[in-house]
Amino acid sequence: MNLNIIICGVGGQGNLLASVAIANYAMKKGFNVVGTETIGAAQRGGSVVSHLRISDGPIYASTVPDGTADILLGFEPVEALRHIKKLNPEGIYIINVEKVPTVLCNMGLDQYPDLEQIMAALQDVSSHGYAINAAEKARELGGAIMTNVVLLGALSSVSDFFDRDEFIEVLKKIISPKVLEKNLKAFEEGRALIAS
Amino acid sequence: MKQYIMGNEAMAKGALEAGVKVVTGYPGTPATEIVDYCLPGEQVYVEWSANEKVALEMAMGASLCNMRSMAVMKHNGTNFATDFIMHLNFTGVRGGMVLVSADDPGANSSQNEEDTRILIHTYGHLPLFDPATPAEAKDMIKEAFALSEKTGSCYVLRPVMRICHSRAIIEDGAKEDLVQTPDFQSDRSRFVMSAVSEPKAGGLMRPMWRHRLLNEKQAEFTRYAEESRFNSVEEGEGRTGLVGCGIGYTCIKEAEALLNRKFPVLKLGTLPLPRKKVISFLRDLDVAIVFEEVEPVVERMLKQICYEEGLAVKILGREDYLPAEGELTPETVIEALRKQGLVEGGKTAVSAPQISAPVRTRTQCVGCPHRGLLSALKQVARKKKAVVTGDIGCYDAGSFPPIELQSTIFCMGSSIPMASGIAKTGIDRPVMAIIGDSTFFHNGLLGLVNAVNNRSNITVILCDNSTTAMTGFQPHPGSGTNIYNEQTTAISPEKIGEALGIKTRVVNPYLMEETKAAVTEALEEEGVSLVISRAPCFLLSSRRGEKEIFPRRPVKMDPEKCNGCKVCLNDLGCPALHYVAGEKKVYVDFNNCVSCGLCADICRRGALSV
Repeated sequence: MNLNIIICGVGGQGNLLASVAIANYAMKKGFNVVGTETIGAAQRGGSVVSHLRISDGPIYASTVPDGTADILLGFEPVEALRHIKKLNPEGIYIINVEKVPTVLCNMGLDQYPDLEQIMAALQDVSSHGYAINAAEKARELGGAIMTNVVLLGALSSVSDFFDRDEFIEVLKKIISPKVLEKNLKAFEEGRALIAS
Repeated sequence: MKQYIMGNEAMAKGALEAGVKVVTGYPGTPATEIVDYCLPGEQVYVEWSANEKVALEMAMGASLCNMRSMAVMKHNGTNFATDFIMHLNFTGVRGGMVLVSADDPGANSSQNEEDTRILIHTYGHLPLFDPATPAEAKDMIKEAFALSEKTGSCYVLRPVMRICHSRAIIEDGAKEDLVQTPDFQSDRSRFVMSAVSEPKAGGLMRPMWRHRLLNEKQAEFTRYAEESRFNSVEEGEGRTGLVGCGIGYTCIKEAEALLNRKFPVLKLGTLPLPRKKVISFLRDLDVAIVFEEVEPVVERMLKQICYEEGLAVKILGREDYLPAEGELTPETVIEALRKQGLVEGGKTAVSAPQISAPVRTRTQCVGCPHRGLLSALKQVARKKKAVVTGDIGCYDAGSFPPIELQSTIFCMGSSIPMASGIAKTGIDRPVMAIIGDSTFFHNGLLGLVNAVNNRSNITVILCDNSTTAMTGFQPHPGSGTNIYNEQTTAISPEKIGEALGIKTRVVNPYLMEETKAAVTEALEEEGVSLVISRAPCFLLSSRRGEKEIFPRRPVKMDPEKCNGCKVCLNDLGCPALHYVAGEKKVYVDFNNCVSCGLCADICRRGALSV
């Protein structure tokens, strides 16, 4: 069993917590896990990409080779586009459709592509994917900060690798008790977004 | 216990298990967290030093007292500490001493890309470990302490970013049962590096004698490399062998797995090389391809060995076969094999999307005090036609669009001497240097002292946010605290200005008019002027729930009044503002706005107001 996951977004979106949650889940299931992040200056609006590799055998490189990501979890549409070459043609993508414009796009000096164009580009690589508004859902539940957990919920329902109850046990260990209840709700809403 | 942790944490665990007593460093990506994770260690002294040379010298002091010590830095820091390296290589050490010099192939978080193996080993003749995985990095640190004591030499660990910033399941090990008691014994023929005749060496000049001892040490380092478990040979098919140094080995293994092939592989984790092992590997080959980060260091050594041993093996690598810059990937290995005709077919092209992803340039956070300062400076510099030099820190994003203020960024502290050099040409424009507080204490102060002593005509802008924000808020000598959160003397830049006898002004960067007036005056003055822009890092103070650093001024937007002039975007560049091309108007993203009110100060039309 090998599972390669790419999680891409913008600094501050909780990308890292998502990758740690998945890694802990895989560890709990007895799998080997290796990951890496390219963070740059993540706190200041830069791109952040986490690579996660799960296997029942040895894992060597910490980066996911091009064309081998079984799941591409895009926290932001343009960031998903940026890492499209990682996606396996048989792989699944889940995209949070809420845009985080770049500084130059904000200034009208660069063009943020239409969401339809981005989705079409993803569909050109793989026909299995979902576009959800995780950020909007998170705000409804009390804060955009939970976007990552909504997306984890979505992720947990697109692959047989993930068991809902066991994943929740992992979240209970890594999320502060003060905000756990809201986050578990966010997780369920993420699952519901995929089901609908 | 087994945990999924970052490579940097694994290295800290290795050092703590080895019983390290003193850990020093200066923050720099990708190495920073190694120091942070040493902090909870029992009976360990940990510090953020003012710069990397100071950190290495601190570690040496501890080693002289027979205690295990470690200095941690990124490659730029190793450059800066090289003068000290070129002495400690001659003297050797007492207590086990490890230098961690982290490289950043691909320069994901660095101003330059380089390979410190050259400084450390080729130039400094010190032994070095190059880890392939975080787990191996942890083991290597422990081995490095042991070998450092056996050989009396400083050992170096050179992790690359993909070791530091990788995560893996790491197992805790037993802590070495070491009794270390500080003990200082003077040994002047060793530790007084001076041009004197050395009686112990028949009157040879001492530096030459110590140089000879270092050269003689190489055989001992090589013997340990020969025995090292970090170097190994794997058998495989064919007469083309793959040599994987550090992370290069994992790229080879990944490529083998993807191709379902097995090649002869030499895994290398040490410098000097295990010469005998290398020769026996090369003997049965026609071609060997070397995968290393990032310069052709081992490749050239193998070429030399082939020449000396009369081996007709073609050695290929980053010199002129593989890409000479950037990170290695499994794809690099596959492509190299394809070029050798060992992999069938063309490149498995993943079709590029029709549309390109817009780039994300770094900027300041919404609410950052640097934004008001950079905007004020841009307005003054434009009016005065000032030449502006820059330095390293969050404020350096002022050199990118839309602000485009600083015209230079080199290394830590360069802004002030470069500004002096520009001014000394007699150029008919005012000259301004922009430097942050941590960078100022790192290596900026000397440039200022020099400028005063040589009567430069420059204005120095000190962006003082009381922390090393860029790398995650480490304290520095001006912070008034240290890594233990102890209260210390906050060294005052204005008192330094006073001691230097230069005109010094302190401004609040959230008050742009006041800041512009102060900078304008400073630029008009003869001689060196210092303007200190002081406000705590907004991100840090918000996270800590500290007192508000600016009065919140909620912004109102009146689209009727906006004429699309984009002054707010060009001169302020706040990420909470965006331009709607269809309407030719700027809007505020209230989800992101923190009500600093600066955009209202800059809007000339009253479209943005408070």
